[in-house]
Amino acid sequence: MGMSRIECIFFSEFHPTLGPKITYQVPEEYISRELFDTVQVYIITKPELQNKLITVTAMEKKLIGCPVCIEHKKYSRNALLFNLGLVCDARTKTCALEPIVKKLSGYLTTLELESGFISNEESKQKLLPIMSTLLEELNATGACTLPIDESNTINLKLIEQRRDPLIVQEYDVPVFTQCKDHFIKSQWDLTTQQILAYVDGFRHIQKISAEADVELNLVRIAVQNLLYYGVVTLVSIFQYSNVYCTTPKVQSLIDDRSVQAECLSYVTKQGQKRACLRDVFQLYCGLTPGTTVRDLCSRYSQQVQRVDERRLIQYGLMKGLIRRLQKYPVKVTRDERSRPPRLYTGCHSYDEICCKTGMSYKELDERLENDPNIIVCWK
Amino acid sequence: MYIHSSSFDLQGERKSMYKQSENSFFKCGEKTSPISVILVTSGSRGNKLLFRYPFQRVADCTSSLTTKQRSPYALNTTGDVLEDPDGDSREQTPLTDEQLVAGFSDIILATILATKSDMCGKKFELKIDNVRFVGHPTLLQHPHTIQVSKTDPSPKREMPTMILFSVVFALRANADPSVISCMHNLSRRIAIALQHEERRCQYLTREAKLMLAVQDEVTNMTETDGSPQSPFRQILPKCKLARDLKEAYDSLCTTGVVRLHINNWLEVSFCLPHKIHRVGSNHVPPEALERSLKAIRPYHALLLLDSEKALLAQLPLDCSPALVRLIKTCSAVKNLQQLAQDADLNLLQIFQIAAHLVYWGKAIIVYPLCENNVYMLSPHANISLYSPLAEGFGQQFPGHDLPSMLAKFSLPLSLSEFRNPLDASVQEAQLIQMVVWMLQRRLLIQLHTYVCLLVPPSEEEPGLLRDEELPLVARVGGRSLSTPSALSFGSPTSSDDMTLTSPSMDNSSAELLPGGDSPLNRRMTETLLASLTEHERQVILNIPAAQSPEDLRMFARLLHYFRGHHHLEEIMYNENMRRSQLKTLFDKFRSVLVVTNHEDPVISLFQSPLE
Repeated sequence: MGMSRIECIFFSEFHPTLGPKITYQVPEEYISRELFDTVQVYIITKPELQNKLITVTAMEKKLIGCPVCIEHKKYSRNALLFNLGLVCDARTKTCALEPIVKKLSGYLTTLELESGFISNEESKQKLLPIMSTLLEELNATGACTLPIDESNTINLKLIEQRRDPLIVQEYDVPVFTQCKDHFIKSQWDLTTQQILAYVDGFRHIQKISAEADVELNLVRIAVQNLLYYGVVTLVSIFQYSNVYCTTPKVQSLIDDRSVQAECLSYVTKQGQKRACLRDVFQLYCGLTPGTTVRDLCSRYSQQVQRVDERRLIQYGLMKGLIRRLQKYPVKVTRDERSRPPRLYTGCHSYDEICCKTGMSYKELDERLENDPNIIVCWK
Repeated sequence: MYIHSSSFDLQGERKSMYKQSENSFFKCGEKTSPISVILVTSGSRGNKLLFRYPFQRVADCTSSLTTKQRSPYALNTTGDVLEDPDGDSREQTPLTDEQLVAGFSDIILATILATKSDMCGKKFELKIDNVRFVGHPTLLQHPHTIQVSKTDPSPKREMPTMILFSVVFALRANADPSVISCMHNLSRRIAIALQHEERRCQYLTREAKLMLAVQDEVTNMTETDGSPQSPFRQILPKCKLARDLKEAYDSLCTTGVVRLHINNWLEVSFCLPHKIHRVGSNHVPPEALERSLKAIRPYHALLLLDSEKALLAQLPLDCSPALVRLIKTCSAVKNLQQLAQDADLNLLQIFQIAAHLVYWGKAIIVYPLCENNVYMLSPHANISLYSPLAEGFGQQFPGHDLPSMLAKFSLPLSLSEFRNPLDASVQEAQLIQMVVWMLQRRLLIQLHTYVCLLVPPSEEEPGLLRDEELPLVARVGGRSLSTPSALSFGSPTSSDDMTLTSPSMDNSSAELLPGGDSPLNRRMTETLLASLTEHERQVILNIPAAQSPEDLRMFARLLHYFRGHHHLEEIMYNENMRRSQLKTLFDKFRSVLVVTNHEDPVISLFQSPLE
């Protein structure tokens, strides 16, 4: 796991006579005396901070721990205080490690309550090899399954933190970022499995819902989940009357050989010789405001021979080489007595309005063209 | 450097523009605002929390154990979730910001925030569950001197001595790293000012004494009266430092511009770019801002976001005269090079002041306004009928409405086309003002023409296709013509790096002799074309226009621009050519060139947030 490399795992406790100390650490001597002195107040803490995930940065290191306190008369000083923590470099992103630390503290607490694992000097020694294994496996594979004794096993996994996905609208079109067959369908939930066949990069959410016979909101949530894991990305509905324009990113087709290769194989028509870069680039650059896809195909008929224009647009949108220009109707003047516009406010695109009202583009166009109070903005 | 003026309309518009934007998935105010500001010290009397703001409500003082952690996905069954003013019922606030930090008592905060002295002078960062504390603990005296004073029996030494202090900001744990960095910066600046005032006149010690006295008083009162009160509320009217900290907190939560006068003497000013540079509901990260600023060129222009008068009124009396001159001579039609000449400043100064103004959200970088500029509606523009922008436009330009104006820019429109020649010239000036107004509010983007050399592949040898497609850039090598990266905030840079003429290049046009088909020129052209493959060279030489040696020479000389990274205006500036010359050249060689129009990625940052 490249991002969060664990440099050291330590086990610290409050010794009845010596006070806070590090009982075990792997690798040995990683945490200096100095460092521990500086941060011990955050490792073996006052009662108010117990069971909280504490991350402290000091001396170029980050220490993540969860202090535990178990109170019982049998302990000297009536309480057992300990903390099993991780140490990373100060620049590491450690969010993914936090659930691991929390889980570990939970495991140890359970072990102590069930069998006195920690307070018993003999069984406590087993911690050292456990910590070694943890360190090795978490760094190597990001996961670790470790039996502690006959009845307890530690299961840990580093889960990558991802950004919150966008809200999926009914007029959005999900498209797989990699070949569909790449994904093991049985790993997904039932709803997702049901809609997978309909996710073809051209059907929008509303259509998928209708054809797969799954409720709209469920489809939205399922697709949002796929979006979260980067399995799909969203593009807009394709129509030959759509208008697109290039973004500065279109130059990456020239600069980046991997993008070139990927693009050319993606957009070439099935069964044809691979399209050449110049043709494809010309097609993308031919997309300008005011030009529909239909116009493009007739203007560049020679270039479009080996190219599937639908996939051309799809690829361009997925990679941000082009962007869609949507139409937004705005009712600028109205009769004082008439109701204020609900959809023609400049906030709702044609895609959205047509989806919500069931009208086709053509119908909406005709309706609006005849209305002198409505102007249309493209953006 | 600027007094926060509540009449700064643009800020207000931007704030309410955010409120109206649909699809705001999270409340971004929370992520970029601090939850609390806390002042702690460590000294001979131990660790103390001197002040915190916002203060806990009386009832919350003892409720740290009872505040429940609620999952954001749990249904709201109890009634006490704060109302979300945006009405987005999808999101439940688990714990209010106040409750997050209120859960920590004064004593525990004092323990964990007043660090050991070896953590002083560095960034302090501590994360506990959902709260992140950031500060810059500062040493006041060397620990050893305390021991000396302890043994000194003189009455003056009875006053408890402070060893270190720290101004700590509490943030939500998921705050952006750049926000955390900025908060640390502010903490450090305040610390520097306080350290200075302490050494000069024991300011901090005096304020601390006041604060502790009030705290003791209130504790005594609570014990006798039995009614709990917040001591910090009582501290505010008595301590200037407490008021300063409160002001810093309030400013950070609202405008992002902090301006304090510590001890009514030392000024601490700071701005949180995340609050200032917002487009829609996204903030522009400071690193992106800095990268963009380093890439501006002398042919760019500075567009002030407020009127000259308003801006000058915000400047302090002792501000730099260069700044004043710049603001007075600045204009949207003047590029930075001309501005340098008109304001009688060197280009380096202009760049630095411009960067400063942009950083503080007082100006943006644009291409200077001229006839041939082509503008289009920005994809991020708010074109809603009911937006405050529409209202503002209607007030500024009576008789015109914003959506109609914006609709005109649905297709790319040049300024000359926009100004209908049939209209009276009085209207013309107003139309220009409208464009400026729209640019200031990020409603328009400017399109530039970019050119790329792409030679038709050879038909005879399909096997070599792979080589043919190797783009020019891989062979010629990337050459950035941007302003040298010597430009950084506040640090002195060598003026050798800034030149008024175009940067020197290997294939510079300067050395080519004008006119004639001399052997020297022919050799130059050959050298320039040598970087192409044989096939490319053949195709180019076969173009009818290539028969004219002058045209061929011009083409060869401009070859390195044809990689799609330099727009027409940049080539014009660097090579001192006219637009018509270039356009003719492009037309002559159109069989090997592909032309496209899009925004300039270098300054598009100022028009749209990062994707």
